[in-house]
Amino acid sequence: MSDVRRRLFGWTALLGAVALAAIVGAPLVGTTRINLARAFDSAVPFADNVDAQILFIARLPRVLAAALVGAALAAAGVVFQALLRNPLATPFTLGVSAGAALGAVLAISLKLQVSLWGVSAVTGASFAGSLGAVAIVYALARARHQGFSTNVLLLAGVTLNSFFSALILFVQYIADPNETVQTLRWLMGDLGVAGYGPILAALPPTIAAFVAFAWLPKTMNLLSLGADAAESRGVDVARAQRVAFFAASLATGAAVSLGGPIGFIGIIVPHLVRLLVGADHRIVLPAAALLGAAFLIGCDVVARLVMAPVELPVGIITSMIGGPFFLWLLVRQR
Amino acid sequence: MLKADSVTYIHGARTTDDLAKGSRADVPGVRDVSLTVERGAIIGLLGPNGSGKTTLLRVLAGVLAPTAGRVTLDGVNLASIARRERARRIAVVPQETHLAFDFSVREVVLMGRYPHLGAFELEGPHDLVVARDALAATGTEHLEHRPFATLSGGEKQRVVIASALAQQADLLLLDEPTASLDLGYQLAIASLVARLNRERGLTVVVATHDLNFAAGLCGSLVLLRGGTMLGSGPTAETLTAASIQALYDVDARVWFDQGAGRIAVLPIEKTRHV
Amino acid sequence: MIGCLDSRSLCRGRILAAVFVIALVAATGDRIAPIAAQRPPQRIVSLVPSVTEMLFLIDAGARVVGVSSFDHFPADVDRLPRVGALMDPDIEKILSLRPDLVITYGSQQDLATRLAKASVPVFSYRHGSLGDITVTLRELGRRLGSTSQAENVAGRIERSLDDIRRRVSIEARPRVLLVIGREPRSLRAINVGGGYGFLHDLLEVAGGTNVFADVKRESLLVSTETILSRAPDVILELHYTDTPSPTFVERERATWSVLSAVPAVKHGRVELLFGEELVLPGPRVVVTAAAFARVLHPSLMGR
Repeated sequence: MSDVRRRLFGWTALLGAVALAAIVGAPLVGTTRINLARAFDSAVPFADNVDAQILFIARLPRVLAAALVGAALAAAGVVFQALLRNPLATPFTLGVSAGAALGAVLAISLKLQVSLWGVSAVTGASFAGSLGAVAIVYALARARHQGFSTNVLLLAGVTLNSFFSALILFVQYIADPNETVQTLRWLMGDLGVAGYGPILAALPPTIAAFVAFAWLPKTMNLLSLGADAAESRGVDVARAQRVAFFAASLATGAAVSLGGPIGFIGIIVPHLVRLLVGADHRIVLPAAALLGAAFLIGCDVVARLVMAPVELPVGIITSMIGGPFFLWLLVRQR
Repeated sequence: MLKADSVTYIHGARTTDDLAKGSRADVPGVRDVSLTVERGAIIGLLGPNGSGKTTLLRVLAGVLAPTAGRVTLDGVNLASIARRERARRIAVVPQETHLAFDFSVREVVLMGRYPHLGAFELEGPHDLVVARDALAATGTEHLEHRPFATLSGGEKQRVVIASALAQQADLLLLDEPTASLDLGYQLAIASLVARLNRERGLTVVVATHDLNFAAGLCGSLVLLRGGTMLGSGPTAETLTAASIQALYDVDARVWFDQGAGRIAVLPIEKTRHV
Repeated sequence: MIGCLDSRSLCRGRILAAVFVIALVAATGDRIAPIAAQRPPQRIVSLVPSVTEMLFLIDAGARVVGVSSFDHFPADVDRLPRVGALMDPDIEKILSLRPDLVITYGSQQDLATRLAKASVPVFSYRHGSLGDITVTLRELGRRLGSTSQAENVAGRIERSLDDIRRRVSIEARPRVLLVIGREPRSLRAINVGGGYGFLHDLLEVAGGTNVFADVKRESLLVSTETILSRAPDVILELHYTDTPSPTFVERERATWSVLSAVPAVKHGRVELLFGEELVLPGPRVVVTAAAFARVLHPSLMGR
């Protein structure tokens, strides 16, 4: 068995076990003590079973959402970093999250009431916003007929980020104070999905993105050498960049629509994974997805417990980890 | 083996109409270049900076599609050959390689095997053998497990050549392989390429502005200035004081050095622009 | 000057009086302005909707010349110019109305400072518990020179609240979850009333027990898990708009049905209340208290 194959299986198995342990273990932890025996007691009808409802309606959807968002953001982070050839790129660098945030803030401030296939107005508007941002950034990157320039892409993304941030501040300023509380809460990132509907709605774009991701790792390795080096080793660089951009944006859009803009997952997890497994994207990508899921589940448990009964938005926990993490990276560089 | 027919490449031009409008002055293109690369030859693309050497090399590699004219590989239009197939037949060594992430030397060389692997296929024992062989050929086996980023300029260049060798292509294109290297490494690269050509029959096209490097390594030369071909042919006939004057506006002495067994160039003085 | 050149003693008296007045003026220098302003304010700008209502109730409505962007009650305010609100007070607009009293929020420090620089008196309003409402009323009355009207209104409010308190005291107090906000059609971002503030106090008056009485905050975001574990008997949801269609009410109520193990949901006691007065710690808290009481103790209060 070749070295890569061995390492791939080894790391996937290990991190897969960690992720699985997190998914199974996290619903058992919370501010309320639940009686597991009673929760699984089939004699008690589910409609009356408080322990079962806490487990399956309050906690499990949250944990699954954390797994999905964590995996999506971590994987998208890896792909964006390969696309932009920069380990400091994040899923939010190119403006996707800003578009999602604008959509959500507008939906909250306009008090939209519609709901489609179990998807609330805020989630739907958020996803639409993310798609809009992707379209704008892509159009800007293509405006010069040279094909797909990652430099122009970066500039377009940064521009969109500032512009949309300004719009978001404006909307918040003129909106009702009641709605402002809600928008602030959304912007901090929160996984309290309260049901499986939002998760199911986020699955199709996430799965589509991951299918595309499966095709990318070798290409991302070659792109790391440079565009010409990749091209001369058989990569259609323009197409690969497009696939990477759209797939990673789709995953990010789905994740942010589900849980809000939860920061730092898309940069901390890829960094940690590279430290553990090396630079080969064939291992980094699946490893990042698995570690991202476990990591965010862990952060969410902390968010639920640290100030009980008040529940902190999980974005605060990831941010508080992010600061020291970067400090540590800085210190290591020396 | 590789033939360029009246190849023209202008940045930003998509059609021949655009050609008439002219090109962006700051990015070199090439106009109406024709050349033939025989199997087993070492051809030099010689010219000053901005003469279009790199652009021509990229067109020959198939990385850029010519705006006019065509490139054929063994008689087949390069544009119609699938990318992976092309990668198994033409390998490119760029001027500089900047890795975005921390790959090891072994991983960099193994990337040369990707054109031979299926979409989801991982490297197998045979690929490892080819990679080790490439490392040996470039004298870099002892660097196999080192991170690429920790290597010296000369070592990096040799590893990148090893990675290109791992593609097992017949044709190797090098872009300014000595540009950022010390004298010792320059000579090492020259002798490495000559040896690969001799022992493996590797056909080589090298773009360079270094007169002595070209004189020592290449059997024939293509002279480029401002995107157009000033001349081509065997080195002894093409590399003369007059052609150097035309290329570089420089007075130089050119002679065959018996002791070194090769043509030598001594630049003397820059002449005025007419 | 004083015109007393004829009689010496009279002159002395007048000179003394003049000296006295001049000394007084010199000594109290910059207090002249407030002394002059002790005349009740005639041009009042109010940034606080609940205080606007108070002004109208103590017969000072005619003196209100400007209100906030969020004032809707009483209907008279519709014709008045708007000067912004908590986040965006328009000081130029305020000053253009030449007010002699501006009612601001306690947190609007910057505005208060700028108004002070322009020598405009400020009444700073800080709301907290239910009791603060009548305290503010009385203070307002003093400031406006309408102490008896203020006392009337405050007294009425207190008596009405006591009345409700008394009537519901004979029944057991249900455990109530007070929902002051959440994402429409879903159970995300549930914002509930904590154990502090006028809404919490109103709940107590109306004969209910706040399930989050132990959390000393005005509001907090809670998860479905916490709601399941606190097991409220009644879920009281406040909406600050006019009463919408019955389908809206049904749909929002149905959103809670997934938490069927919560007693309130199991027994169909999810109640929605509508009205912009629900969020105002002002004179209409009596209406709110009565609405709460009707929901919590329907048999005692009538529907």
